[in-house]
This record gives sequence, structure tokens and C-alpha cells, in this order.
Amino acid sequence: MGRVAYGRIAPNEDLVQGLEKLCLAHGFRNAFVRGALGSLVDACLGSTNGKIVHVAGPAVEVVSIAGEVRSKPDGSLAASLSGVVSDTDGNVYGGPFVAGANIVCITFEVTLEEWLPAG
Amino acid sequence: MTKTSTYSDTPFPRPRTLVHPGRFNPVRIQSLDAQQARHIRLLLEPGKSLFDALVGPLSENGIASASTTILGGSFDTLTYCVAPPDLSGKSVIAYGKPLQAGRAFMIFGNATLGKAVDGAPLVHCHAAIRTENGTVKGGHLITERCVVGEAPIPVLVTCLAGFELRQAHDPETNMLLLQPRKVALHG
Repeated sequence: MGRVAYGRIAPNEDLVQGLEKLCLAHGFRNAFVRGALGSLVDACLGSTNGKIVHVAGPAVEVVSIAGEVRSKPDGSLAASLSGVVSDTDGNVYGGPFVAGANIVCITFEVTLEEWLPAG
Repeated sequence: MTKTSTYSDTPFPRPRTLVHPGRFNPVRIQSLDAQQARHIRLLLEPGKSLFDALVGPLSENGIASASTTILGGSFDTLTYCVAPPDLSGKSVIAYGKPLQAGRAFMIFGNATLGKAVDGAPLVHCHAAIRTENGTVKGGHLITERCVVGEAPIPVLVTCLAGFELRQAHDPETNMLLLQPRKVALHG
């Protein structure tokens, strides 16, 4: 295990790319999400049939999330995040967060733990 | 290296950019790091509020800032709220009235421990729950009004050291938000 970083992502930033930028800010090349919560304007979740689930807000609350940020073979960073969100009636939806389509509404709090792969 | 471009139909609705009441802050990610973090497995004590069951043992161990994952468990009572648009215009959204989930099961939750504006402990918790009537819901838990059921509930804690999480007014959103802040090592 390496370092640990806590970040607060501001409104109108994308959740997925925000976590990638948080890694850039701290020099992490690989990281695990240790704890995270916050709100989105609307949520956009992937599904197995190639369609997406669009959950209308604001705000859509992120009530559970798991994921990682990994270095790709081309040297870029990519976050993979999956979780459960709730709408303004408390109804829940789940799936992978689509990069570029999950915009923070008020704030997103996240703790990342740097992962140092062996070798 | 050969690069290829592909064109496809827009796979998702265009994201919305909301206009907040305050001045745009050019710093979009506020963050701090520490060389390492301590992990603790905590058991929430039956009969206590979620707030007291989290804050008490962590405070006794000198932990004031942490990220936690709450594993599944039953609550004698659970109160939560959601965040619809703020019709007053003071902020983009506002917390709605408390909703009673009754004797509920927390499927999983994440909670951040920090300090409120006045320095008192503060817990910000979101969770997916199964309410007493069997409906699965999610939202912002009012941790002082959630009472741990008869079985202790495990919590995985990542303790944050070298900096603290402090609630402060965020001018852009006009809301009180937890933000990382450096603290003096001595005093």
C-alpha cells in the first residue's frame, strides 16, 4: 500500500475523470477507491445491452461506490467505477458510471489509496 | 502508430452544467495526501445512534478525520433524506424533510468523519437501505436518528492523518461542505 489522498471534487466536474485527475494531482498511477460519497446532477450508468440508464436529478446521490484507477498500456489513466445511486425520491439504480456523463452536483468526497503493483 | 477515429451516435444525453449561486472557484479539486493511512475495523454498538457508534470509538482513539465503509446491518430505526432542487434559490439543491425507513437494513453505506464549523465531530453518510416495508431506497442518512439494531455492524475505517476534514462554507454552492485542511503537527 502506498499513500492515501482525500479529495473534494467541485460541481460540474465529471466523477470518473475527476478521480483520474485526483490521481494526477498526487502522482498516483494506480489507486483503489476506499470511501466515497456525494451528489451528481444526473447519473448515467452503463448496462449490459449497450444502452445506458439515465437517472434525472438534481441531485442524484451516490450511495455506494467501488472502483479503481489504473494505468493503461498507453500510459493514460482510467478509472472504473461501479455503484448505486438514488434519485430525488430515494429510488435506487445501479451500474458502472459512464465516463464524461456523471457530473458532480454539489460535492463529491473521495479517499483514494495508492496501489503500488509488485514489480 | 496508426490512429483511427470512429463516429457513433451520442450514447448518452449531454451532461448538464448547472449554474450555482456563488462565484466559480477555479480550483476544481481540493485535495491533500498522506504517506500512509491506518485501517481499523470497528463494530457499531447496538442501541447507539449511528453517529455516536461511529464517533465515540474513533474519538477515543484520537481519530477525527476518516473515510469509512459500513457493511450491512440492521437498524432499530433509520431516518434519511434526499436532495431535491432548492426552490428558494439559495443553493442548487436542499435536503428534504426527514423520511422514516423504520426498522431497516443498511445494505451498505459510506460515511466521512470530519469536524463541523464549530469543531464538533461531523458525519456525512450516504447509504443504500431496505426499509421496513421491503422497498430498497437510498439517500443521505441523518445519523443522529439512526439506531443500531441488536447485532454489531462492522465498519472499515481509513483514518486520515496529517490533515483534517473540516466543514466550511463553500461560496460557489452556498453550502457547508467538508474540505481537507492542513493541520499543524504540534499544537
